[in-house]
Amino acid sequence: MRFTTIAVLAGVVATAVPCRAQAPTAKPQAPSVNPSAAVIAAFTQRVNAYAALRKGVEKGEAKVERHTDPAKIEAEQKALVAKIQAARTAAKVGDIFTIESRPVFKRLLSPQLKGPDGAENKAAIKDDNPGAMTLKVNQPYPKREPLSTVPPDILKALPVLPQDVEYRFVGKHLILYDARASLIIDFIPNAIP
Amino acid sequence: MRNRTITIALILAAVVAIVAATRDQTRPGVPQMSAAGETAPPVGKDSVKFLVLGDTGTGDRGQYDTAVQAWKAHAVFPYEFAIMLGDNIYGSERPQDFKKKFETPYKPLLDANIPFYAALGNHDDPNQRYYKPFGMNGQRFYTYQKKDARFFALDSNYMDKDQQAWLEKELAASNSKWKIAYFHHPLYSSGATHGSEVDLRTIIEPLFKKHNVNVVFAGHEHFYERVKPQGGIYYFTAGGSAKLREGDIRSSNLTAKGFDTEQSFMVVELDGDVMRFQTISRSGKRVDSGEITRQNAGTQ
Repeated sequence: MRFTTIAVLAGVVATAVPCRAQAPTAKPQAPSVNPSAAVIAAFTQRVNAYAALRKGVEKGEAKVERHTDPAKIEAEQKALVAKIQAARTAAKVGDIFTIESRPVFKRLLSPQLKGPDGAENKAAIKDDNPGAMTLKVNQPYPKREPLSTVPPDILKALPVLPQDVEYRFVGKHLILYDARASLIIDFIPNAIP
Repeated sequence: MRNRTITIALILAAVVAIVAATRDQTRPGVPQMSAAGETAPPVGKDSVKFLVLGDTGTGDRGQYDTAVQAWKAHAVFPYEFAIMLGDNIYGSERPQDFKKKFETPYKPLLDANIPFYAALGNHDDPNQRYYKPFGMNGQRFYTYQKKDARFFALDSNYMDKDQQAWLEKELAASNSKWKIAYFHHPLYSSGATHGSEVDLRTIIEPLFKKHNVNVVFAGHEHFYERVKPQGGIYYFTAGGSAKLREGDIRSSNLTAKGFDTEQSFMVVELDGDVMRFQTISRSGKRVDSGEITRQNAGTQ
């Protein structure tokens, strides 16, 4: 009886092992991807595309360069803004910070805004925050308004941006800011709870 | 004849006593010089001498009066360059604003070819980096050498990974006797309005300690504060060169000396292993002064 049980078990193992060994011949499945990572990767592609667009139009009179006369810098910046606007005439809220990316960004921000460190971060954001102001995509950031400081903890938590594209806060909104053209690229309304 | 000799001797003794009383002490320590009086001349012959201005760009009377004193100080203390601690232009930044809020008040300095090296504040358009008179060479953060001192001008508004990596690399690469960092937001402050930037401190103070930064200047708070050395580093806040937040310093154990009743600026001298500083008010009075010895004195 005992022998029979052992024999049966041995038979089960013997049939199971080849089954495992045969697994590679089955149709390969796509490796699983963290859905948030996929959203961030897509965001990075969009924002890199924006940076490439800017690089493409930043030439001639629209290339911001060093000058002693601030009027020349202003003229070049205005020309750059005009070219970017012309290249993004259909730009609207959510083009880069898409609807599906918003919760991911909020999730990334959330731990940085909770607890004692979160209070510090919130205070730092609030400190220089211009507060309530109308935001318009593809329009210059108001020259009279200060730019909020973005705490290093928050920068560390958010996806890396190309050169001269920055995260900033206006009130509770997270904006994507073009530091060369001083332009609002896109924003997430009420990113801070 | 005898009376005359006595009189001369008395006069000479009085002169010697006055000179001794008013002469600034040069022994190491903090502070040694008197806070009274006006700008004192530099001590070292071949020292690095510079002016420190913070939160200047108002274009108002406070800025202009303080700028006049800064130029007067130059006659006694011929600084060779000026550092700006951010908020270089408040409000609108049209070409006429650059004139009103920078070029006109500091015209005597610009005419004397005194270069400026600015850091960006939260009120500054990042494109100020392209304005040649600010000496930023198109960079948000940058470094430069003055004799045996290396200066690091940082953008504390946006301390991203790129800037942190750059700072670490540049600090590590520098063998200069003095390492001086400056930027807008103070890591230590007794200001009621803003206070210490703890989040920024967590990121960059370890780099300062690791790579032996000696002195840090910041603005943002519209007053003057000399902070007690923290982790061996000397911190100054000098953000009251135009704007003033009167009575904003809250008594704390951070403060070695505070001044928040008038606008002010600093003149600084790096002389061998000693740094001498003076803080001058809008009305031209010396409100703080002293000298510190380089933390790693005797090396390099």
